[in-house]
Amino acid sequence: MLNIQNLSAKVDKKSILNGLSLNIKPGEVHAIMGPNGSGKSTLANILSGKKGYDISGKINYENNDLFNLAIEERAHKGLFLAFQYPLEIPGVNTSNFLKTSLNAIRKSKGQKELDALEFLKIVKQKASELKIDEKILNRQLNVGFSGGEKKKNEILQMSLIEPKMAILDETDSGLDIDALKIVAKGVNALRSKERSFLIITHYQRLLDYIKPDFVHVLMDGKIAKSGCMELAEELEKAGYEKI
Amino acid sequence: MIENLKKNFEVFNKKFVSWPNNNRDKFFKKFIEMGFPNNKIEDWKFSNFNNFVSKNFKSLNTNVENLTSFKFDKYINSFDHNKIIFVNGEFKDKNFGNEEKEKFVFSDIKGFGEHLRLTIEDECENSLNLLNNAFYLDGLSLIIEKEYEFKKPLIIYNVFKTKKENNFFNQKIKIKVGKNSKIDILLLNINLGSEPIFLNIYNNLSLKKDAVLKLYSSSDLGEKDIFYNFNNVDVLSNSIFENFIFSNSANFYKNEIKCSLNEKYSSSFINGAIFSQNEQTHEIKSRIEHNDENTKSYQKIKSVLDKKSKSVFQGKIFVDSKAQKTDGYQLSNAILLDEESEFDSKPELEIYADDVKCSHGSTSGNLDEDAIFYLMSRGLSEFEAKKLLIKGFLNDAVETITNNEIRKYFSSKIESKINEYR
Repeated sequence: MLNIQNLSAKVDKKSILNGLSLNIKPGEVHAIMGPNGSGKSTLANILSGKKGYDISGKINYENNDLFNLAIEERAHKGLFLAFQYPLEIPGVNTSNFLKTSLNAIRKSKGQKELDALEFLKIVKQKASELKIDEKILNRQLNVGFSGGEKKKNEILQMSLIEPKMAILDETDSGLDIDALKIVAKGVNALRSKERSFLIITHYQRLLDYIKPDFVHVLMDGKIAKSGCMELAEELEKAGYEKI
Repeated sequence: MIENLKKNFEVFNKKFVSWPNNNRDKFFKKFIEMGFPNNKIEDWKFSNFNNFVSKNFKSLNTNVENLTSFKFDKYINSFDHNKIIFVNGEFKDKNFGNEEKEKFVFSDIKGFGEHLRLTIEDECENSLNLLNNAFYLDGLSLIIEKEYEFKKPLIIYNVFKTKKENNFFNQKIKIKVGKNSKIDILLLNINLGSEPIFLNIYNNLSLKKDAVLKLYSSSDLGEKDIFYNFNNVDVLSNSIFENFIFSNSANFYKNEIKCSLNEKYSSSFINGAIFSQNEQTHEIKSRIEHNDENTKSYQKIKSVLDKKSKSVFQGKIFVDSKAQKTDGYQLSNAILLDEESEFDSKPELEIYADDVKCSHGSTSGNLDEDAIFYLMSRGLSEFEAKKLLIKGFLNDAVETITNNEIRKYFSSKIESKINEYR
């Protein structure tokens, strides 16, 4: 699904990633943990196509060179990033945005675009499954949303789009336990043999609900250690310094 | 240009010599002294009006003997409304089917033969107002004496499809909303023809006690058209004046408003969305006078500029020494989509009272790159992302419209203009 080989990235000559390699197969859930400044968000940004990095190395996504795909093409091919800080976009109605996004992706796949009624039915169903208040659909996109509402909105988008490969960039930070469960529920509901996840987090607690197949520790821009769920528990007890 | 205008006026004025109080020649004389506004005048410092006239017109003509007409029936069908129709500057038709007709008095100015009692002092600082006084041909007067709320909005269809011999139109709109009365009006200026027109409208609006007037304006004019729209608004106690303009067409469009909040608890809401392109120049100029206690004014102007266009906001809030507890707010935001467009903003506060709350802000910049990235990561192309952001940005001003039907009208109009955008 996603194969990252020897990825390095610099911003203004400052190295952030230093030869990171990671292979994610269909159906696998990987978690990346790491201290502040270890390069977690940079990895997420590069995967989704954000500009501003000097990059070397290779990323293969579904038999495509990822760097040859424009930002929206990555989305069309099933790559999804749940943002650490979802943007507030005044004047744009949330429901309208969700519909535009979903239809752009459906169109790229040659599927029929949904009309307003069809869309509304689906989005309301997804929102109720995730216990997300429908009212956010009629508000301006992320404007005045609480931290939890913004993150829940990202998960709602993920559920609508049903990506092949979802990356969650610290979606759990700042969430209370109920919101955390919603995020986990969104991920778990989508888990399948064909779909993969990369979950970037500081803390073990989200992983308690999601139970990843692999846990990696990112330090100084590369994977310092890989293991399974026990590694996350170890980190929670002993911190990153022991790695 | 001026010589030709003089000849035209001589012929034009002959038609009106018999009107009572005809003093058009005084106004014309005064206009000749002043000339078209140029950028040496503070109110016009951001755009040299003279240039727009000479660039788009060989001559300006109001040829009364040779007025042309055509049938217009492309009415808005998304909501029920009363109608007034002007074709090539002349009153043609009206339909107040929804209303109690004894509750108000409507007349077209030409048919009624009413000569508005104008004195030379009227707007003598503004040469385009003088020109309007000299050349006005038609217009309307709508007076709601008291205690009547219009059931449906009124749409004024001001449509044009004309020849070179008639390209200069001066109109007057006079609306008086009496005590406890209310009306919502949408003014549509549409040029269906290919000949450029110069449209100069003078709106005289007055609100008595406990009255509400909502005036919305939208234009579909040609790429060489000039449109100057002047509003003089007087608001008495407890009354609300709400104004929204959408400016997207015409080569030069200036909407000027002077609004006097003359009695306690009167308020005005003046909002606008500008989407200028293709070397257009669009200006909004406001002067809000707070002349009594507890008056409130609110202004929000959102501009999007592209393709060497220019947009200007000049807004002044004046607070008289007796206007304590004034609440004045003014915000102007602009987004520039290309390197060659220009946004000029001149916010001013002039305050003589000591217990007031007044704020103003003005920003200009590019579309937010992070927001574009966010939307693209959700599958939108860069262009789609930009269009959605522009729509959202302008919608922020549209949201201020309190008439639901008219808000929907503007929202879908702006949406379709942005969808046409390349």
